[in-house]
Amino acid sequence: MPLARTDLESLLRARRLDRTLTTALPPIVNDEYAVAATGITTLDARLEGGFPRGQLSELVGPRSSGRTSLLLQMLAAATARGELVALVDALDMFDVDSAAAAGIDLDRLLWIRGHVVTNPGLCRDLNQRAIEQAIRAFTLVLQAGNFGLVVFDAAEAPVAAIRRLPFTTWLRLHRIVEGRPTTCVLVGAEPMARSSAGLTLRLGVREPGSAGEPRARFRARLFDGLDLEARAVRARRHDDVRVSLSTAAV
Amino acid sequence: MYACLYRPQQSDTYDVNRGGRAGRRTHPDRSAGSELDAIAQAFSPRYERHHDDLVSIDVTGLERLFSRPERGGPRSVWTTIGEALRREAAVRGVRVHVAVAGTCTAARVLALARPGLTVIERGGEAAALAPIPIAIFLRSHVSSLGAASSNSCVETFIRWGVRTAGELAALPPDDLAARLGRPARVWHAIARGEDVRPLVPALEAERFESSLDLDWPIEGLEPLSFVLTRLLEPLSTRLERRDRGAAVLHVLLRLVTRTSTGAGGEEPVESREVWTRRLELPSPMRDVRTLRTLALLDLESHPPSAAIDRVTIVIDPTPGRVLQHTLFTRAHPTPEQLSTLVARLGAVMGQDRVGAAQVVDSYRPGAVATRPFKTEHPPSGAASLRSRPDDGDVWPARGDDVQSLRAGLRRCRQPVPARVVAHDGHPVRVTTDRRGFAGGSVVRCAGPWRTSGEWWSTGWNRDEWDVSLTDGAVYRIFQDHQTEAWFIEAIVD
Repeated sequence: MPLARTDLESLLRARRLDRTLTTALPPIVNDEYAVAATGITTLDARLEGGFPRGQLSELVGPRSSGRTSLLLQMLAAATARGELVALVDALDMFDVDSAAAAGIDLDRLLWIRGHVVTNPGLCRDLNQRAIEQAIRAFTLVLQAGNFGLVVFDAAEAPVAAIRRLPFTTWLRLHRIVEGRPTTCVLVGAEPMARSSAGLTLRLGVREPGSAGEPRARFRARLFDGLDLEARAVRARRHDDVRVSLSTAAV
Repeated sequence: MYACLYRPQQSDTYDVNRGGRAGRRTHPDRSAGSELDAIAQAFSPRYERHHDDLVSIDVTGLERLFSRPERGGPRSVWTTIGEALRREAAVRGVRVHVAVAGTCTAARVLALARPGLTVIERGGEAAALAPIPIAIFLRSHVSSLGAASSNSCVETFIRWGVRTAGELAALPPDDLAARLGRPARVWHAIARGEDVRPLVPALEAERFESSLDLDWPIEGLEPLSFVLTRLLEPLSTRLERRDRGAAVLHVLLRLVTRTSTGAGGEEPVESREVWTRRLELPSPMRDVRTLRTLALLDLESHPPSAAIDRVTIVIDPTPGRVLQHTLFTRAHPTPEQLSTLVARLGAVMGQDRVGAAQVVDSYRPGAVATRPFKTEHPPSGAASLRSRPDDGDVWPARGDDVQSLRAGLRRCRQPVPARVVAHDGHPVRVTTDRRGFAGGSVVRCAGPWRTSGEWWSTGWNRDEWDVSLTDGAVYRIFQDHQTEAWFIEAIVD
């Protein structure tokens, strides 16, 4: 089988079709200009530096899977590096106290709050419009350039609302951010952009326990935190990355 | 050559024989300064106001205007200029001492010391100042010269027995400086009538305003953008020449409204009003595109109600930004880019939806506030371009070590009403009607944590629980003690 693969690759190279080979892709340069560290040394080590700059990356997972905790950590690490960061909070769920506790320099965080109607009534498309509005704001921030980290947070948005967005939206965003020193992160329940060059980090409970058994830790009468696992499910070179994480309650 | 005008106060007569002040000094008339300024402006744009009652004028180059060949040589020119200055002051009802000399310092000391008109030819300053008592140097008008900020030197000279400027000028300057420091050398130069600093002309405050009358009234913002560009380009150039930036941008639009009187055949009546918008810019800027975009975005949110036939731009200037670029910090968006971005985001999302988050000094759960996002950020001292450890450090080995991070919350700005079944005081099942919050049975819970506050206004009083449900999520729920209702407040994520 390896021989057949080698033959096939040499044949493709002979016909100048080797650009479709993953081995022909330019090597990932592991330096501070190519990647942005998350601030979690274990994860950064396994991701060879962190999240790639100039690409659309994703943080996906179900509710209480640690997306927000990891996101806050990434924002804190970026502001600690002196970068400006922006958060497009599509559903206006950002908790300022958690952010301050995570160590984010709030002066360097541009917070864009979405308009969400709690009870839209008959106007069911109001919140869909809010998502589209947030995408417009996200596009403006990316076009401005020179932000270190730009996050589009639609983690609690209905999957159907995200799927209704034209798929060209993500291609357009990818074109904007490509080649820039910006780390672009989408946060959602499901993968949205599915960028081949970006990194998709799926978060979940550390071990599949019994049915309905969350990995929340309780100590006596206190909530202690969550036991999590981060897995790179789509990336050029991080297919086998699994990192265990745990969160400590605020 | 320099001329100096001094307007003596009535109670500020100086007794040369006694070497001191004869009367109590009163505060000079506030209008005296403007009167002296007006006299100086009538002769030369190069003048400096040292005090409300003392002005120096650079009269070099005025010889051709005031020369009287039939009345003598060049000496009479300076006398003519001095007399003209006195006449001008007399016309304005101001009594002044006038002195004309080759240096500004000599002219100033002579104007302070001698009434009437004093004219000293170039080169004769030291001799003219020689008989003047140095006690006159104690006046603030003289001590404000250059580095001579302290009168202690002059008092020391008087204690030494030095009485006149000539005696002071005769002392060796190096020895003076060795004993009394640099101020002594400055006083020595003043006694010799030498300038210790050049004249700094007062500049009139420049007004950055541009206006354009249109042949036909325009409607809509697209044609207005061309007009704004046309007006802003020369203003930007002027700002750049003066090293200034715009702090506030005023856009004044004259609107034309035509109202018909209703009677047949009569011309409609035109009324005009001025629509004013004021933009406070977060940082000094003079980029035409940025200013135009900001003005247009503001007008998009506050559109004029009628056609525009006159556009005026007024800029309040402020000193320009000094930028020191560095190779060792990351590039940031420029203040112009950030200002434009924030304005655009405000137009899309609403002005109150964009900014920097602010921690509120309150115990109220979920208290939130925003403030305007700063457009200038100093490079962080702790910032580092490194994202990898030093060569000596090692990445953590691939293993089962677990890295801990701080748990974050997702807060529901409007708490989600929930139905909670409680058993023995503990929640055992949480459900809601809200889509996306299905709920389920409680697996583990922690609480209750009682919190209350602001009882004097719309306060809160509730018990909080952290619950882990069978749907795998962890929520923070609370029961309001006033209504006994349950709500989901936040998601632990």
